[in-house]
Amino acid sequence: MIRDITIGQYYQGESLIHKLDPRLKVVGVLVYLISLFCFRYVIGFLVAGLFFVLVLKLSKVPFRYVIKGLKPILFLLVFTAALNLLWTPGETIWRFGILNLTKEGIYKCIFMALRLILLIIGSSLLTLTTTPNQLTDAMEYLLGPFKRFGAPVHEVAMMMSIALRFIPILLEETDKIMKAQMSRGADFESGNLMHRLRNMIPLLVPLFVSATRRANELAYAMDARCYNGGAGRTKMKPLKYHSRDYKGYGVLVVYLVLLIVVTRTVAI
Amino acid sequence: MSIQLENVNYIYGESSGQEKWALKNINLTLHDNEFVGIVGHTGSGKSTLTQLLNGLEKPSSGQILYNGQDIQAEGFSKKELRRKAGLVFQYPEHQLFEVSVIKDVEFGPRNLGLTNLEVEKRSFDALKQVGISDELLDVAPFALSGGQKRRVAIAGVLAMQPEVLILDEPTAGLDPAGRTEILELLQRLHRENNISVILVSHSMDDVARYAERILVMNQGELVLDGAPEKVFRYRKELREIGLDVPQSANILYELRDRGMDVDTNGITPEQAAQNIADYLRRQS
Repeated sequence: MIRDITIGQYYQGESLIHKLDPRLKVVGVLVYLISLFCFRYVIGFLVAGLFFVLVLKLSKVPFRYVIKGLKPILFLLVFTAALNLLWTPGETIWRFGILNLTKEGIYKCIFMALRLILLIIGSSLLTLTTTPNQLTDAMEYLLGPFKRFGAPVHEVAMMMSIALRFIPILLEETDKIMKAQMSRGADFESGNLMHRLRNMIPLLVPLFVSATRRANELAYAMDARCYNGGAGRTKMKPLKYHSRDYKGYGVLVVYLVLLIVVTRTVAI
Repeated sequence: MSIQLENVNYIYGESSGQEKWALKNINLTLHDNEFVGIVGHTGSGKSTLTQLLNGLEKPSSGQILYNGQDIQAEGFSKKELRRKAGLVFQYPEHQLFEVSVIKDVEFGPRNLGLTNLEVEKRSFDALKQVGISDELLDVAPFALSGGQKRRVAIAGVLAMQPEVLILDEPTAGLDPAGRTEILELLQRLHRENNISVILVSHSMDDVARYAERILVMNQGELVLDGAPEKVFRYRKELREIGLDVPQSANILYELRDRGMDVDTNGITPEQAAQNIADYLRRQS
Protein backbone atom coordinates (compact mmCIF):
# COMPACT_ATOMS: atom_id res chain seq x y z
CA MET A 1 0.00 0.00 0.00
CA ILE A 2 2.79 2.37 0.95
CA ARG A 3 5.09 1.06 -1.75
CA ASP A 4 3.44 3.31 -4.30
CA ILE A 5 4.81 6.51 -2.78
CA THR A 6 7.48 7.99 -5.04
CA ILE A 7 9.79 10.58 -3.52
CA GLY A 8 12.76 11.54 -5.62
CA GLN A 9 12.45 8.22 -7.34
CA TYR A 10 15.19 6.94 -9.58
CA TYR A 11 14.32 5.25 -12.85
CA GLN A 12 16.89 2.56 -13.59
CA GLY A 13 18.30 3.07 -17.05
CA GLU A 14 21.37 3.04 -19.26
CA SER A 15 20.63 6.07 -21.40
CA LEU A 16 22.92 8.91 -22.37
CA ILE A 17 21.18 11.19 -19.87
CA HIS A 18 21.73 8.65 -17.09
CA LYS A 19 25.42 8.56 -17.88
CA LEU A 20 25.96 12.32 -17.97
CA ASP A 21 27.96 13.88 -15.18
CA PRO A 22 25.61 14.76 -12.32
CA ARG A 23 27.17 18.24 -12.06
CA LEU A 24 26.12 18.94 -15.64
CA LYS A 25 22.61 17.71 -14.85
CA VAL A 26 22.27 19.82 -11.71
CA VAL A 27 23.57 22.92 -13.48
CA GLY A 28 21.43 22.10 -16.50
CA VAL A 29 18.26 21.80 -14.47
CA LEU A 30 19.02 25.04 -12.60
CA VAL A 31 19.62 26.90 -15.86
CA TYR A 32 16.50 25.36 -17.35
CA LEU A 33 14.33 26.34 -14.39
CA ILE A 34 15.64 29.90 -14.43
CA SER A 35 15.20 30.09 -18.20
CA LEU A 36 11.49 29.41 -17.74
CA PHE A 37 11.20 32.78 -15.99
CA CYS A 38 13.12 34.74 -18.61
CA PHE A 39 10.51 35.24 -21.32
CA ARG A 40 7.11 36.85 -21.55
CA TYR A 41 5.60 35.18 -24.60
CA VAL A 42 4.06 31.75 -24.98
CA ILE A 43 6.36 31.02 -27.92
CA GLY A 44 9.15 30.51 -25.38
CA PHE A 45 7.42 27.38 -24.16
CA LEU A 46 7.69 25.90 -27.63
CA VAL A 47 11.47 26.09 -27.37
CA ALA A 48 11.56 25.02 -23.70
CA GLY A 49 9.04 22.23 -24.35
CA LEU A 50 10.96 20.91 -27.35
CA PHE A 51 14.16 20.93 -25.33
CA PHE A 52 12.41 18.95 -22.60
CA VAL A 53 11.03 16.41 -25.10
CA LEU A 54 14.51 16.00 -26.59
CA VAL A 55 16.06 15.26 -23.19
CA LEU A 56 13.15 12.99 -22.25
CA LYS A 57 13.53 10.95 -25.43
CA LEU A 58 17.27 10.63 -24.84
CA SER A 59 16.69 9.53 -21.25
CA LYS A 60 14.26 6.76 -22.30
CA VAL A 61 12.13 7.42 -19.21
CA PRO A 62 8.47 6.66 -20.05
CA PHE A 63 6.40 9.83 -20.28
CA ARG A 64 3.72 8.61 -17.87
CA TYR A 65 6.44 8.23 -15.25
CA VAL A 66 7.21 11.92 -15.49
CA ILE A 67 3.53 12.84 -15.50
CA LYS A 68 3.02 10.94 -12.26
CA GLY A 69 5.19 13.55 -10.57
CA LEU A 70 2.52 16.16 -11.32
CA LYS A 71 -0.10 14.47 -9.18
CA PRO A 72 0.90 16.08 -5.85
CA ILE A 73 0.77 19.60 -7.31
CA LEU A 74 -2.43 19.08 -9.26
CA PHE A 75 -4.38 21.15 -6.74
CA LEU A 76 -1.87 24.00 -6.85
CA LEU A 77 -1.91 23.87 -10.63
CA VAL A 78 -5.69 24.11 -10.92
CA PHE A 79 -5.80 26.81 -8.24
CA THR A 80 -3.20 29.01 -9.94
CA ALA A 81 -4.77 28.53 -13.33
CA ALA A 82 -8.24 29.46 -12.05
CA LEU A 83 -6.92 32.46 -10.16
CA ASN A 84 -5.17 33.82 -13.25
CA LEU A 85 -8.09 32.98 -15.49
CA LEU A 86 -10.73 34.84 -13.49
CA TRP A 87 -8.96 37.77 -11.83
CA THR A 88 -6.73 39.23 -14.52
CA PRO A 89 -7.78 42.75 -15.50
CA GLY A 90 -8.17 43.46 -19.20
CA GLU A 91 -10.57 43.08 -22.10
CA THR A 92 -13.65 41.38 -20.63
CA ILE A 93 -15.19 38.41 -22.43
CA TRP A 94 -17.56 37.20 -19.74
CA ARG A 95 -18.50 38.53 -16.36
CA PHE A 96 -20.20 37.05 -13.30
CA GLY A 97 -20.09 38.98 -10.03
CA ILE A 98 -16.45 39.41 -9.06
CA LEU A 99 -15.37 36.80 -11.60
CA ASN A 100 -13.99 38.49 -14.67
CA LEU A 101 -12.93 36.40 -17.63
CA THR A 102 -10.61 38.38 -19.86
CA LYS A 103 -8.52 37.76 -22.96
CA GLU A 104 -5.39 38.54 -20.98
CA GLY A 105 -6.61 36.14 -18.30
CA ILE A 106 -6.85 33.21 -20.70
CA TYR A 107 -3.38 33.99 -22.00
CA LYS A 108 -1.90 34.28 -18.53
CA CYS A 109 -3.65 31.14 -17.33
CA ILE A 110 -2.13 29.05 -20.11
CA PHE A 111 1.19 30.76 -19.54
CA MET A 112 1.32 30.04 -15.79
CA ALA A 113 0.09 26.47 -16.15
CA LEU A 114 2.70 25.66 -18.79
CA ARG A 115 5.42 27.21 -16.67
CA LEU A 116 4.44 25.26 -13.57
CA ILE A 117 4.19 21.98 -15.47
CA LEU A 118 7.59 22.43 -17.10
CA LEU A 119 9.11 23.42 -13.75
CA ILE A 120 7.95 20.22 -12.13
CA ILE A 121 8.56 17.73 -14.92
CA GLY A 122 11.87 19.39 -15.76
CA SER A 123 13.21 18.95 -12.25
CA SER A 124 11.72 15.49 -11.84
CA LEU A 125 13.76 14.39 -14.85
CA LEU A 126 16.87 15.13 -12.77
CA THR A 127 15.91 12.83 -9.90
CA LEU A 128 14.61 10.18 -12.29
CA THR A 129 17.94 9.88 -14.08
CA THR A 130 20.37 10.57 -11.24
CA THR A 131 20.92 8.37 -8.20
CA PRO A 132 20.75 10.13 -4.83
CA ASN A 133 24.45 9.43 -4.32
CA GLN A 134 25.44 11.09 -7.58
CA LEU A 135 23.19 13.97 -6.71
CA THR A 136 24.84 14.63 -3.37
CA ASP A 137 28.28 14.23 -4.94
CA ALA A 138 27.38 16.92 -7.43
CA MET A 139 25.97 19.15 -4.69
CA GLU A 140 29.10 18.76 -2.65
CA TYR A 141 31.25 19.72 -5.59
CA LEU A 142 29.12 22.65 -6.66
CA LEU A 143 28.89 24.02 -3.11
CA GLY A 144 32.64 23.44 -2.65
CA PRO A 145 33.58 27.13 -2.77
CA PHE A 146 31.56 27.73 0.41
CA LYS A 147 33.95 25.46 2.33
CA ARG A 148 36.35 28.35 2.42
CA PHE A 149 33.92 30.26 4.61
CA GLY A 150 33.73 27.36 7.03
CA ALA A 151 30.47 25.91 5.78
CA PRO A 152 30.26 22.16 6.56
CA VAL A 153 29.57 21.24 2.95
CA HIS A 154 30.82 17.68 3.12
CA GLU A 155 28.91 16.92 6.30
CA VAL A 156 25.69 18.32 4.93
CA ALA A 157 26.10 16.36 1.71
CA MET A 158 26.77 13.18 3.68
CA MET A 159 23.70 13.75 5.84
CA MET A 160 21.62 14.31 2.75
CA SER A 161 22.74 11.12 1.09
CA ILE A 162 22.13 9.12 4.28
CA ALA A 163 18.68 10.62 4.64
CA LEU A 164 17.80 9.85 1.03
CA ARG A 165 19.11 6.33 1.35
CA PHE A 166 16.88 5.65 4.33
CA ILE A 167 13.62 6.84 2.78
CA PRO A 168 12.78 3.57 0.97
CA ILE A 169 13.98 1.49 3.92
CA LEU A 170 11.81 3.32 6.41
CA LEU A 171 8.83 3.27 4.06
CA GLU A 172 9.10 -0.48 3.76
CA GLU A 173 9.46 -0.77 7.49
CA THR A 174 6.35 1.36 8.05
CA ASP A 175 4.46 -0.95 5.73
CA LYS A 176 5.55 -4.01 7.69
CA ILE A 177 4.77 -2.50 11.08
CA MET A 178 1.34 -1.39 9.89
CA LYS A 179 0.62 -4.89 8.72
CA ALA A 180 1.88 -6.44 11.93
CA GLN A 181 -0.37 -4.16 14.01
CA MET A 182 -3.34 -4.62 11.70
CA SER A 183 -2.92 -8.34 12.26
CA ARG A 184 -3.52 -7.57 15.93
CA GLY A 185 -6.68 -5.66 15.14
CA ALA A 186 -5.21 -2.15 14.93
CA ASP A 187 -7.21 0.32 12.90
CA PHE A 188 -5.43 3.17 11.10
CA GLU A 189 -8.27 4.35 8.93
CA SER A 190 -11.38 5.23 10.95
CA GLY A 191 -12.26 7.50 13.87
CA ASN A 192 -11.83 11.23 14.42
CA LEU A 193 -8.52 13.09 14.39
CA MET A 194 -7.64 12.56 18.07
CA HIS A 195 -8.56 8.93 17.80
CA ARG A 196 -6.47 8.47 14.71
CA LEU A 197 -3.47 10.18 16.27
CA ARG A 198 -3.67 7.87 19.26
CA ASN A 199 -3.95 4.89 16.95
CA MET A 200 -0.65 5.92 15.38
CA ILE A 201 1.30 5.16 18.57
CA PRO A 202 1.61 1.43 17.87
CA LEU A 203 3.05 2.38 14.49
CA LEU A 204 5.33 5.22 15.53
CA VAL A 205 7.00 3.63 18.53
CA PRO A 206 8.41 0.61 16.67
CA LEU A 207 9.32 2.87 13.75
CA PHE A 208 11.32 5.29 15.92
CA VAL A 209 12.95 2.46 17.81
CA SER A 210 14.02 0.86 14.57
CA ALA A 211 15.20 4.15 13.06
CA THR A 212 17.42 4.91 16.06
CA ARG A 213 18.71 1.34 16.03
CA ARG A 214 19.58 1.64 12.36
CA ALA A 215 21.23 5.01 12.88
CA ASN A 216 23.26 3.57 15.73
CA GLU A 217 24.39 0.60 13.65
CA LEU A 218 25.30 2.84 10.75
CA ALA A 219 27.35 5.09 13.06
CA TYR A 220 29.24 2.05 14.35
CA ALA A 221 29.83 0.80 10.83
CA MET A 222 31.15 4.19 9.74
CA ASP A 223 33.32 4.43 12.83
CA ALA A 224 34.70 0.93 12.21
CA ARG A 225 35.81 2.14 8.79
CA CYS A 226 37.53 5.11 10.40
CA TYR A 227 35.21 7.72 8.92
CA ASN A 228 36.07 11.11 10.33
CA GLY A 229 34.50 13.68 8.10
CA GLY A 230 35.52 15.35 4.90
CA ALA A 231 39.11 16.44 5.44
CA GLY A 232 41.57 14.48 3.33
CA ARG A 233 38.90 12.08 2.17
CA THR A 234 39.21 10.85 -1.41
CA LYS A 235 36.46 9.37 -3.52
CA MET A 236 36.23 5.90 -4.96
CA LYS A 237 34.50 7.23 -8.03
CA PRO A 238 35.64 10.84 -8.43
CA LEU A 239 33.48 12.91 -10.71
CA LYS A 240 35.17 13.33 -14.08
CA TYR A 241 33.96 15.21 -17.12
CA HIS A 242 33.90 13.26 -20.36
CA SER A 243 33.60 14.67 -23.86
CA ARG A 244 29.86 13.96 -23.79
CA ASP A 245 29.55 16.27 -20.79
CA TYR A 246 31.26 19.14 -22.61
CA LYS A 247 28.89 18.52 -25.50
CA GLY A 248 26.08 18.59 -22.98
CA TYR A 249 27.16 22.05 -21.78
CA GLY A 250 27.31 23.05 -25.45
CA VAL A 251 23.73 21.89 -26.02
CA LEU A 252 22.67 23.87 -22.96
CA VAL A 253 24.22 27.05 -24.36
CA VAL A 254 22.60 26.43 -27.74
CA TYR A 255 19.25 26.05 -26.00
CA LEU A 256 19.69 29.34 -24.15
CA VAL A 257 20.72 31.24 -27.29
CA LEU A 258 17.85 29.75 -29.26
CA LEU A 259 15.41 30.67 -26.50
CA ILE A 260 16.62 34.27 -26.38
CA VAL A 261 16.60 34.69 -30.15
CA VAL A 262 13.14 33.20 -30.60
CA THR A 263 11.50 35.10 -27.75
CA ARG A 264 13.06 38.40 -28.88
CA THR A 265 12.01 38.08 -32.51
CA VAL A 266 8.60 36.37 -32.36
CA ALA A 267 6.09 38.03 -30.08
CA ILE A 268 3.17 35.67 -29.65
CA MET B 1 -11.68 -23.93 9.80
CA SER B 2 -10.52 -24.38 6.26
CA ILE B 3 -8.76 -22.00 3.90
CA GLN B 4 -9.08 -22.53 0.21
CA LEU B 5 -7.10 -20.75 -2.50
CA GLU B 6 -8.37 -20.94 -6.04
CA ASN B 7 -6.22 -19.81 -8.98
CA VAL B 8 -4.60 -17.11 -6.88
CA ASN B 9 -2.16 -14.77 -8.61
CA TYR B 10 -0.31 -11.86 -7.10
CA ILE B 11 1.53 -9.29 -9.18
CA TYR B 12 3.76 -6.54 -7.81
CA GLY B 13 4.30 -3.09 -9.25
CA GLU B 14 1.56 -3.14 -11.87
CA SER B 15 1.25 0.62 -11.61
CA SER B 16 4.94 1.38 -12.20
CA GLY B 17 5.24 -0.87 -15.23
CA GLN B 18 7.88 -3.10 -13.69
CA GLU B 19 5.70 -6.13 -13.09
CA LYS B 20 6.80 -9.03 -10.97
CA TRP B 21 4.79 -12.15 -10.34
CA ALA B 22 5.02 -12.96 -6.66
CA LEU B 23 2.48 -15.79 -6.87
CA LYS B 24 1.46 -17.78 -9.91
CA ASN B 25 -1.76 -19.72 -10.02
CA ILE B 26 -1.86 -21.12 -6.50
CA ASN B 27 -4.47 -23.78 -5.78
CA LEU B 28 -4.47 -25.03 -2.27
CA THR B 29 -6.67 -26.16 0.59
CA LEU B 30 -5.54 -25.83 4.20
CA HIS B 31 -7.58 -28.06 6.47
CA ASP B 32 -8.64 -27.83 10.07
CA ASN B 33 -6.08 -28.61 12.73
CA GLU B 34 -3.10 -29.12 10.45
CA PHE B 35 0.56 -28.32 11.08
CA VAL B 36 1.69 -27.07 7.69
CA GLY B 37 5.20 -26.02 6.78
CA ILE B 38 5.76 -23.67 3.86
CA VAL B 39 9.31 -23.88 2.59
CA GLY B 40 10.99 -21.79 -0.06
CA HIS B 41 13.81 -19.39 -0.75
CA THR B 42 13.74 -15.63 -0.30
CA GLY B 43 11.52 -14.29 -3.04
CA SER B 44 9.66 -17.54 -3.55
CA GLY B 45 6.41 -15.87 -2.56
CA LYS B 46 5.92 -17.53 0.79
CA SER B 47 5.63 -14.30 2.78
CA THR B 48 3.18 -12.86 0.27
CA LEU B 49 1.12 -16.01 0.63
CA THR B 50 0.84 -15.55 4.40
CA GLN B 51 -0.33 -11.97 3.95
CA LEU B 52 -3.02 -13.07 1.52
CA LEU B 53 -4.31 -15.59 4.02
CA ASN B 54 -5.36 -12.96 6.56
CA GLY B 55 -6.44 -10.35 4.06
CA LEU B 56 -3.56 -7.88 4.42
CA GLU B 57 -2.89 -8.15 0.72
CA LYS B 58 -5.42 -8.66 -2.03
CA PRO B 59 -4.79 -11.23 -4.75
CA SER B 60 -4.47 -9.74 -8.24
CA SER B 61 -6.81 -12.47 -9.41
CA GLY B 62 -8.32 -15.61 -7.97
CA GLN B 63 -10.29 -16.33 -4.85
CA ILE B 64 -9.52 -17.07 -1.23
CA LEU B 65 -12.24 -18.80 0.75
CA TYR B 66 -12.28 -18.95 4.53
CA ASN B 67 -14.72 -21.64 5.65
CA GLY B 68 -16.23 -21.43 2.18
CA GLN B 69 -16.71 -17.64 2.28
CA ASP B 70 -14.91 -15.33 -0.12
CA ILE B 71 -12.75 -13.03 2.01
CA GLN B 72 -12.81 -10.24 -0.58
CA ALA B 73 -16.62 -10.25 -0.70
CA GLU B 74 -18.43 -7.16 0.51
CA GLY B 75 -19.53 -7.45 4.10
CA PHE B 76 -16.89 -10.00 4.98
CA SER B 77 -15.21 -8.66 8.12
CA LYS B 78 -11.46 -8.39 7.62
CA LYS B 79 -11.05 -7.67 11.31
CA GLU B 80 -12.77 -10.91 12.21
CA LEU B 81 -10.64 -12.75 9.66
CA ARG B 82 -7.46 -11.34 11.18
CA ARG B 83 -8.58 -12.50 14.59
CA LYS B 84 -9.26 -16.02 13.34
CA ALA B 85 -6.15 -16.25 11.18
CA GLY B 86 -3.49 -14.79 13.48
CA LEU B 87 -0.31 -13.76 11.71
CA VAL B 88 3.01 -13.37 13.53
CA PHE B 89 5.58 -11.41 11.55
CA GLN B 90 9.25 -12.24 11.25
CA TYR B 91 10.63 -9.53 13.47
CA PRO B 92 9.01 -9.03 16.87
CA GLU B 93 10.49 -5.50 16.79
CA HIS B 94 7.81 -4.67 14.25
CA GLN B 95 5.00 -5.07 16.70
CA LEU B 96 6.28 -4.51 20.24
CA PHE B 97 5.57 -0.95 21.31
CA GLU B 98 4.12 -0.83 24.82
CA VAL B 99 5.85 -0.01 28.09
CA SER B 100 5.49 -3.50 29.50
CA VAL B 101 5.20 -7.05 28.23
CA ILE B 102 1.71 -7.61 29.59
CA LYS B 103 0.38 -4.33 28.14
CA ASP B 104 1.78 -5.21 24.76
CA VAL B 105 0.07 -8.58 24.72
CA GLU B 106 -3.17 -6.89 25.78
CA PHE B 107 -3.16 -4.73 22.63
CA GLY B 108 -4.68 -7.42 20.43
CA PRO B 109 -7.55 -8.57 22.65
CA ARG B 110 -8.31 -4.95 23.60
CA ASN B 111 -8.82 -4.15 19.93
CA LEU B 112 -11.45 -6.88 19.89
CA GLY B 113 -13.51 -4.81 22.32
CA LEU B 114 -13.49 -7.34 25.15
CA THR B 115 -14.04 -6.48 28.81
CA ASN B 116 -11.00 -5.61 30.92
CA LEU B 117 -11.27 -8.82 32.84
CA GLU B 118 -11.40 -10.92 29.69
CA VAL B 119 -8.49 -8.99 28.15
CA GLU B 120 -6.30 -9.53 31.18
CA LYS B 121 -7.24 -13.17 31.53
CA ARG B 122 -6.47 -13.94 27.90
CA SER B 123 -3.18 -12.07 28.01
CA PHE B 124 -2.00 -13.85 31.16
CA ASP B 125 -3.01 -17.20 29.70
CA ALA B 126 -1.24 -16.49 26.42
CA LEU B 127 1.96 -15.45 28.17
CA LYS B 128 1.83 -18.54 30.35
CA GLN B 129 1.36 -20.71 27.28
CA VAL B 130 4.45 -19.33 25.59
CA GLY B 131 6.43 -19.75 28.79
CA ILE B 132 7.04 -16.15 29.83
CA SER B 133 7.47 -16.14 33.59
CA ASP B 134 5.59 -13.78 35.92
CA GLU B 135 8.54 -11.58 36.77
CA LEU B 136 8.86 -10.55 33.12
CA LEU B 137 5.31 -9.23 32.86
CA ASP B 138 6.20 -5.67 33.82
CA VAL B 139 9.52 -5.52 32.01
CA ALA B 140 9.78 -3.33 28.89
CA PRO B 141 9.55 -5.60 25.84
CA PHE B 142 12.65 -3.97 24.32
CA ALA B 143 14.76 -5.22 27.24
CA LEU B 144 14.03 -8.88 26.50
CA SER B 145 16.28 -11.32 24.70
CA GLY B 146 15.61 -12.24 21.07
CA GLY B 147 13.88 -15.51 21.90
CA GLN B 148 11.78 -13.90 24.63
CA LYS B 149 10.69 -11.09 22.31
CA ARG B 150 9.57 -13.62 19.80
CA ARG B 151 7.56 -15.50 22.38
CA VAL B 152 5.91 -12.29 23.55
CA ALA B 153 5.05 -11.48 19.93
CA ILE B 154 3.47 -14.92 19.54
CA ALA B 155 1.56 -14.41 22.79
CA GLY B 156 0.27 -11.10 21.42
CA VAL B 157 -1.42 -12.94 18.59
CA LEU B 158 -2.35 -15.98 20.66
CA ALA B 159 -4.28 -13.78 23.10
CA MET B 160 -6.74 -13.09 20.31
CA GLN B 161 -7.50 -16.82 20.31
CA PRO B 162 -7.03 -17.52 16.61
CA GLU B 163 -8.18 -20.68 14.89
CA VAL B 164 -5.05 -20.76 12.82
CA LEU B 165 -1.65 -19.38 13.75
CA ILE B 166 0.49 -18.27 10.82
CA LEU B 167 4.16 -17.56 11.51
CA ASP B 168 6.62 -15.98 9.09
CA GLU B 169 10.15 -17.24 9.80
CA PRO B 170 9.69 -17.41 13.57
CA THR B 171 13.13 -18.91 14.13
CA ALA B 172 15.24 -16.53 12.03
CA GLY B 173 18.16 -15.12 13.97
CA LEU B 174 17.77 -17.43 16.96
CA ASP B 175 20.42 -19.79 18.28
CA PRO B 176 19.74 -23.56 18.03
CA ALA B 177 18.36 -23.73 21.58
CA GLY B 178 16.02 -20.78 21.01
CA ARG B 179 14.94 -22.28 17.71
CA THR B 180 14.02 -25.63 19.25
CA GLU B 181 12.19 -23.83 22.03
CA ILE B 182 9.97 -21.91 19.62
CA LEU B 183 9.29 -24.95 17.45
CA GLU B 184 8.44 -27.12 20.47
CA LEU B 185 6.12 -24.36 21.64
CA LEU B 186 4.30 -24.36 18.31
CA GLN B 187 3.93 -28.10 18.41
CA ARG B 188 2.52 -27.93 21.92
CA LEU B 189 0.03 -25.22 20.92
CA HIS B 190 -1.01 -27.32 17.96
CA ARG B 191 -1.56 -30.45 20.04
CA GLU B 192 -3.01 -29.00 23.21
CA ASN B 193 -5.12 -26.14 21.86
CA ASN B 194 -6.11 -27.85 18.63
CA ILE B 195 -5.15 -24.84 16.53
CA SER B 196 -3.78 -25.07 13.04
CA VAL B 197 -0.23 -23.87 12.60
CA ILE B 198 1.20 -22.60 9.34
CA LEU B 199 4.95 -22.27 9.67
CA VAL B 200 6.88 -20.41 6.99
CA SER B 201 10.58 -21.08 6.80
CA HIS B 202 13.51 -21.34 4.42
CA SER B 203 14.97 -24.19 6.42
CA MET B 204 13.75 -27.66 5.61
CA ASP B 205 15.32 -28.96 8.82
CA ASP B 206 13.08 -26.71 10.94
CA VAL B 207 9.93 -27.67 9.19
CA ALA B 208 10.54 -31.37 8.58
CA ARG B 209 10.46 -32.45 12.18
CA TYR B 210 7.22 -30.76 13.17
CA ALA B 211 5.03 -30.28 10.11
CA GLU B 212 2.49 -32.87 9.06
CA ARG B 213 2.39 -31.44 5.59
CA ILE B 214 4.97 -29.52 3.61
CA LEU B 215 4.37 -27.04 0.82
CA VAL B 216 7.39 -26.19 -1.28
CA MET B 217 7.37 -22.86 -3.10
CA ASN B 218 9.67 -21.78 -5.88
CA GLN B 219 9.51 -18.48 -7.77
CA GLY B 220 5.88 -17.91 -6.93
CA GLU B 221 4.73 -21.40 -7.74
CA LEU B 222 3.64 -24.22 -5.50
CA VAL B 223 5.89 -27.07 -6.64
CA LEU B 224 5.37 -29.78 -4.03
CA ASP B 225 2.61 -30.49 -1.53
CA GLY B 226 2.42 -33.49 0.75
CA ALA B 227 3.55 -35.30 3.88
CA PRO B 228 7.26 -34.83 4.68
CA GLU B 229 8.24 -38.38 3.70
CA LYS B 230 6.46 -37.93 0.42
CA VAL B 231 8.07 -34.57 -0.31
CA PHE B 232 11.57 -35.83 0.48
CA ARG B 233 11.30 -38.43 -2.23
CA TYR B 234 11.80 -35.58 -4.67
CA ARG B 235 15.30 -35.05 -3.43
CA LYS B 236 16.71 -34.20 -6.82
CA GLU B 237 14.00 -31.69 -7.67
CA LEU B 238 14.43 -30.05 -4.29
CA ARG B 239 18.15 -29.75 -4.80
CA GLU B 240 17.61 -28.17 -8.18
CA ILE B 241 15.69 -25.30 -6.61
CA GLY B 242 18.34 -25.01 -3.92
CA LEU B 243 16.57 -26.72 -1.04
CA ASP B 244 17.98 -29.63 0.90
CA VAL B 245 16.15 -32.46 2.57
CA PRO B 246 16.91 -32.73 6.30
CA GLN B 247 20.36 -34.10 7.00
CA SER B 248 19.14 -37.35 8.55
CA ALA B 249 16.86 -38.11 5.62
CA ASN B 250 19.72 -37.23 3.33
CA ILE B 251 22.01 -39.80 4.95
CA LEU B 252 19.37 -42.51 4.57
CA TYR B 253 18.90 -41.71 0.89
CA GLU B 254 22.66 -41.67 0.28
CA LEU B 255 23.00 -45.07 1.96
CA ARG B 256 20.18 -46.39 -0.16
CA ASP B 257 21.85 -45.06 -3.29
CA ARG B 258 24.99 -46.93 -2.36
CA GLY B 259 23.20 -50.24 -2.14
CA MET B 260 22.07 -50.47 1.48
CA ASP B 261 18.41 -51.30 1.74
CA VAL B 262 17.52 -48.95 4.61
CA ASP B 263 14.07 -47.53 5.25
CA THR B 264 14.32 -43.92 4.02
CA ASN B 265 11.38 -42.68 6.12
CA GLY B 266 13.41 -40.94 8.78
CA ILE B 267 13.31 -37.24 9.47
CA THR B 268 14.84 -36.96 12.91
CA PRO B 269 18.32 -38.23 13.76
CA GLU B 270 16.73 -40.71 16.17
CA GLN B 271 14.55 -42.18 13.46
CA ALA B 272 17.44 -42.35 11.05
CA ALA B 273 19.61 -44.12 13.59
CA GLN B 274 16.80 -46.57 14.27
CA ASN B 275 16.38 -47.30 10.57
CA ILE B 276 20.08 -47.96 10.14
CA ALA B 277 20.13 -50.19 13.22
CA ASP B 278 17.18 -52.14 11.84
CA TYR B 279 18.98 -52.61 8.57
CA LEU B 280 22.17 -53.81 10.24
CA ARG B 281 20.18 -56.22 12.39
CA ARG B 282 18.52 -57.65 9.29
CA GLN B 283 21.93 -58.10 7.71
CA SER B 284 23.45 -60.07 10.54
